[in-house]
Amino acid sequence: MEIALLQALLSGAAVGSAYALVALGFSVTFTTTKTLNFSHGEFVSAGAFMGMSVLFLALGNPISSTSFGEAIPDMASQLMALLAAMVVMGLLGWVLYLVGVRPFARKPGMSWVMSTLGFGVILQSIGLAIWGPKPVVVPGPLGDEVVRLWGIGIRPQELLMLGVSIVVMVLFDHVMRKTMVGKAMRAVANNPAVASLMGINVTVMMVGAFVVSSALAGLSGFLLAPIAQASLFMGLSVGLKGFSAAMVGGLNNARGCVIGGFVLGILESLVNLWSAQWREVAIFALVILVLAFRPTGLFGTKMVEKV
Amino acid sequence: MSKVLFTRRLAIAAAASIFTAAVAAQEIKLGFNGDLSASPSAQSGAAGVLGIQAAIEDINAAGGINGRKLTLVIRDDQSQPPKSIQNMSELIDNEKVVAVFGPTNSGNAMAWKHIPNQKKVVSMGMIGGGTDITKSTGGDNYMFRVSMVDREQVAGLMAYAKKAGYKKVGLMAETTGFGAGGLKDMQEIAKLQGLDVSTVERFAVADTDMTSQLNKMKAAGVDAVAVWAQGTPTGQLMRSMEKINYFPAVLSSWAADNVTFFDAAGKALSEKPIFMRTMVEASNPKQKELFERTKGKLAATSAFPFTVHGYDAVMLIAAAIRQAGGTDGEKMRAALEDLREPVVGAMKTYNKPFSKADHEALSAADFAFVKWSAGSLSRISDPVSKSLTAADFKR
Repeated sequence: MEIALLQALLSGAAVGSAYALVALGFSVTFTTTKTLNFSHGEFVSAGAFMGMSVLFLALGNPISSTSFGEAIPDMASQLMALLAAMVVMGLLGWVLYLVGVRPFARKPGMSWVMSTLGFGVILQSIGLAIWGPKPVVVPGPLGDEVVRLWGIGIRPQELLMLGVSIVVMVLFDHVMRKTMVGKAMRAVANNPAVASLMGINVTVMMVGAFVVSSALAGLSGFLLAPIAQASLFMGLSVGLKGFSAAMVGGLNNARGCVIGGFVLGILESLVNLWSAQWREVAIFALVILVLAFRPTGLFGTKMVEKV
Repeated sequence: MSKVLFTRRLAIAAAASIFTAAVAAQEIKLGFNGDLSASPSAQSGAAGVLGIQAAIEDINAAGGINGRKLTLVIRDDQSQPPKSIQNMSELIDNEKVVAVFGPTNSGNAMAWKHIPNQKKVVSMGMIGGGTDITKSTGGDNYMFRVSMVDREQVAGLMAYAKKAGYKKVGLMAETTGFGAGGLKDMQEIAKLQGLDVSTVERFAVADTDMTSQLNKMKAAGVDAVAVWAQGTPTGQLMRSMEKINYFPAVLSSWAADNVTFFDAAGKALSEKPIFMRTMVEASNPKQKELFERTKGKLAATSAFPFTVHGYDAVMLIAAAIRQAGGTDGEKMRAALEDLREPVVGAMKTYNKPFSKADHEALSAADFAFVKWSAGSLSRISDPVSKSLTAADFKR
């Protein structure tokens, strides 16, 4: 049973790394603009399709092809696809900010919720019109031979995702806490008026946050596609779980979000070992429990509203 | 224009329109209500329509039924139950079809089956395999089918498991209506066969890792897994088996014949599961001829069985109309439940395929055990499948 436990831990960590990346995306926008991108899930799906389309084009196939067949794109194409996914999604994030967030941010009411949700629906519909509903199997950059460590198996793409999310987490943590840019972002979140008085370009910070968060979504989609198949619906579940992970870990703490993601993933795997049909119940019961005792998440800082 | 010329032309026009109306009144309208565009099953719907049209051509070429020609009215329900219900009402009330073929998706049939029963119009399913579609809801039952039946598949798979002598059969199902229904059938029939199915695990449709559930099965000593899920999660299940290096025998639903399963599992792992199909490749002369006629228009040759079922569905309806002496719904139903002449179809010759209680033209004994082999579907002929007889299928 120890092997089963170990397998559950590793598989859970792999699944959790996807949630962690998504959670991080939510955290970035929230930390800077105090708004959330509720279409983050759709950005993940769109990122996956962006990467897939570049891979198809590199092989000389049309972007609406349904299968790679036996053709394996080379590493250069994979890197190009990754770049495309991140850049295009980042640009889309900018568009989202201009159209869906800036008109509504910092105004009373929560219209940005509706506008980001609506943006996501538009994105999904456009995607459906171009690529259709059928999921596409995307070859990963490291192939698909099962890697065996200490008697447990893991797919190379899952290992890649795990590695990348840890690197990204360390990077973000460093940026947010130790660099001037990070301090500026946190200042803008706290009080944009004063921040701009201090010489921080508030608009650039906010746009930057959305661009970075959406680029992260593109990265998540690109990494997730070889495991879960590129589908316009893949972002839905991962978006919801990622958001829950962010809430559990603390929306305004990058480290916390990522840890929340891993905790959620591993918990899912462990509950599978006990009784898989109660999994969703167990996960969301945990989320509610954590929020009941610590409303800003396990690692979030308490929000203090100065009156 | 002179008065005579005008009157003559008027008379010709009137005669022509009366004649057209008379011809139209002579035509027998059949309807198709299924998915032709939206879901992955759309290719099955399109293939089915090809079969129906081929059969109608053949019957009309031989003079129609009692001199009346058949025509087909097609309605695409885009896999959506509300649209499917709307199509059904439209076909029966406006177009006045005498029989409806379809649907592609079982859920849609469950949504509208009360309509044919109320309006007393026969519905001949030829694609969707949900067991409860042809179940009577009290009173006369107008739902018939010549296609795969989910419960029959389970009967076949459980009979295979029993004959193969597996000691412990683990059951896995996805947490959707399809999975839950299949799980129920598997548990009931396994009990009839006396199989040990105490280990039951579930997973969600979007799951990519089932190693925990499989490890539990491994610990419980399961040597065969029967799984009821759609193509993609079944493929992910195979990947998870590879991760923990645990390869019990795998018996699956017919969702594994879909290319989504093949894509998700990859070429090597896709060869592991055994499942059932109504047929594999064109084997008798009639099927071969039908294949030659339609293969240019088929989206995928793996959808050919549905062309065959569409063809046979028309043949059965035609036989019912002939025996009933007309297109009255009640008489057609009674005729179907007691067909006196054998009906020659593309799949086989049907001898009294239906009765008052049984509205399924095909059963486990008609189906074939198949698996993927080198990227295409092929019939299995191992000692176990060869030794199965109709008596082994308990349901």
